[in-house]
Amino acid sequence: MQKYEKLDKIGEGTYGTVFKAKNRETLEIVALKRVRLDDDDEGVPSSALREICLLKELKHKNIVRLYDVLHSDKKLVLVFEHCDQDLKKYFDSLNGEIDPNVVKSFMYQLLRGLAFCHSHNVLHRDLKPQNLLINKNGELKLADFGLARAFGIPVKCYSAEVVTLWYRPPDVLFGAKLYTTSIDMWSAGCIFAELANAGRPLFPGSDVDDQLKRIFKLLGTPTDETWPNMTTLPDFKPMPMYQPNMTLVQVVPKSTTKMRDLLQRLLVCNPSHRISAEQAMSHIYFADINLLPK
Amino acid sequence: MAGNFWQSSHYQQWILDKQDLVRERQLDLQILSEEEYQKIGIFFSNFIQILGEQLKLKQQVIATATVYFKRFYARNSLKCIDPLLLSPTCVFLASKVEEFGVISNSRLITTCQTVCMYLFYFIVLCCILHFFVVKNKLNYAYTQEFPYRTNHILECEFYLLENLDCCLIVFQPYRPLLQLVQDIGQHEDQLLALAWRVVNDSLRTDLSLLYPPYQIAIGCLQIACVIMQKDLKSWFAELNVDIDKIQEISRYIINLFELWKSYDEKKDIQGLLNKMPKPKLQPTR
Repeated sequence: MQKYEKLDKIGEGTYGTVFKAKNRETLEIVALKRVRLDDDDEGVPSSALREICLLKELKHKNIVRLYDVLHSDKKLVLVFEHCDQDLKKYFDSLNGEIDPNVVKSFMYQLLRGLAFCHSHNVLHRDLKPQNLLINKNGELKLADFGLARAFGIPVKCYSAEVVTLWYRPPDVLFGAKLYTTSIDMWSAGCIFAELANAGRPLFPGSDVDDQLKRIFKLLGTPTDETWPNMTTLPDFKPMPMYQPNMTLVQVVPKSTTKMRDLLQRLLVCNPSHRISAEQAMSHIYFADINLLPK
Repeated sequence: MAGNFWQSSHYQQWILDKQDLVRERQLDLQILSEEEYQKIGIFFSNFIQILGEQLKLKQQVIATATVYFKRFYARNSLKCIDPLLLSPTCVFLASKVEEFGVISNSRLITTCQTVCMYLFYFIVLCCILHFFVVKNKLNYAYTQEFPYRTNHILECEFYLLENLDCCLIVFQPYRPLLQLVQDIGQHEDQLLALAWRVVNDSLRTDLSLLYPPYQIAIGCLQIACVIMQKDLKSWFAELNVDIDKIQEISRYIINLFELWKSYDEKKDIQGLLNKMPKPKLQPTR
């Protein structure tokens, strides 16, 4: 631990506090995530182990790098690449305006990180702006693979903070237990719309019911035809039959046709019809992609 | 996570070469002969196997625990940590890692609920194992009770994690074996069962430290074919693999079988464990 000089506290993660720190030798800035071990009968928590072993395997420019794992008396400290801010904070700094090229660049990088995860059979399962880190060079990186999500998505994390429902697909809201890569694609769709709207969330539901209603009001309530197995999901309950009466252009006013076409392929209620990350990357919207090295 | 093996930490960091292994073991091999060293390895692999079976863990988890054990002692002397403590620690860590290592795994919800009780149960099990369950299998080895407790395992887990350089995802020969047998044909259950057992046996050798799992799978399949006197020469010939490597792998397994033939564990193990280099400090309770 002597190797690092602790600077300020960045935040409270799923299983511990995150600090900004400086490597005393290289002067490099890193993020230190301290893993609490108070649940002492479990040893190193599964959530931390999950993050450690996944990040050890997933090395990609759009996935946050785990540099090191330090052990010091009954503490475990994960040393991560430091990014200046997360997408949420970035939104807060925007004042409601965003450059369309930035939207495209961030979205492309999000999909590229996801495609890499998915090709390694890893699902993120908790994508949201707070988990997307952004650095000064305009690079976007997926972070926080930490929640013990293989056990089903928890409603609460350790700090008793309620996990947001805003980026959850309808199948998960109906209690689907068999997750596939499609779960991340829905979240990517929500984030895409939020990017385009400079940080205004697409479906800011207050509870499961409200969340589903918001989704169906925009996309129309799925039917047996559009989504055959929906009624067999564990927590399925009949919802009002909304007709799609809003169009995407009303919800994402500054969008182009190509953008809306991609968005429409991501925001599909039936998970088996959602576009994959790989396919989304070759969508015509990205034909003129120009990644921003600022 | 069954991703790309060639990009994995398994391939990039943990396929070692034979010379490396010999060099790292030098300290232990001043005290033990190579065969004695192997016999001790076999004994603890068995211990891990029995422990895993008692915990009703899948063979995949048991295999991962065994590989952790092998990797640890590929870099450390037996003197460094008592293998009797390291074996349950490997099972403990592997069961946590493997539980969430795959995409869809509903079985684990129950395990999750019991996770807090887990370690306690675990220790109790180690004790019971020592006394009753394996009375006929292992108790000739140790006459004292199981000397370790929760805090020892937790401490050891840290140490293990560090020595593994946090590389926890291990590829195993089981999945490639399934694919290979499927490729041979429809009704090969017997062949699969036998080859599967040979893969289990291969865990008692250094193979998992030296060769990629798909090669081990092919080697084990070849042995199974020989035992069953099944002629699949043309099928093997069509596989795009380095035949020399496969022969090396088969050699390891045949050597193991030969060692087993001439070895009475019950008789020898007590002496071997006494001779084994040990940590200076014995646990105090």
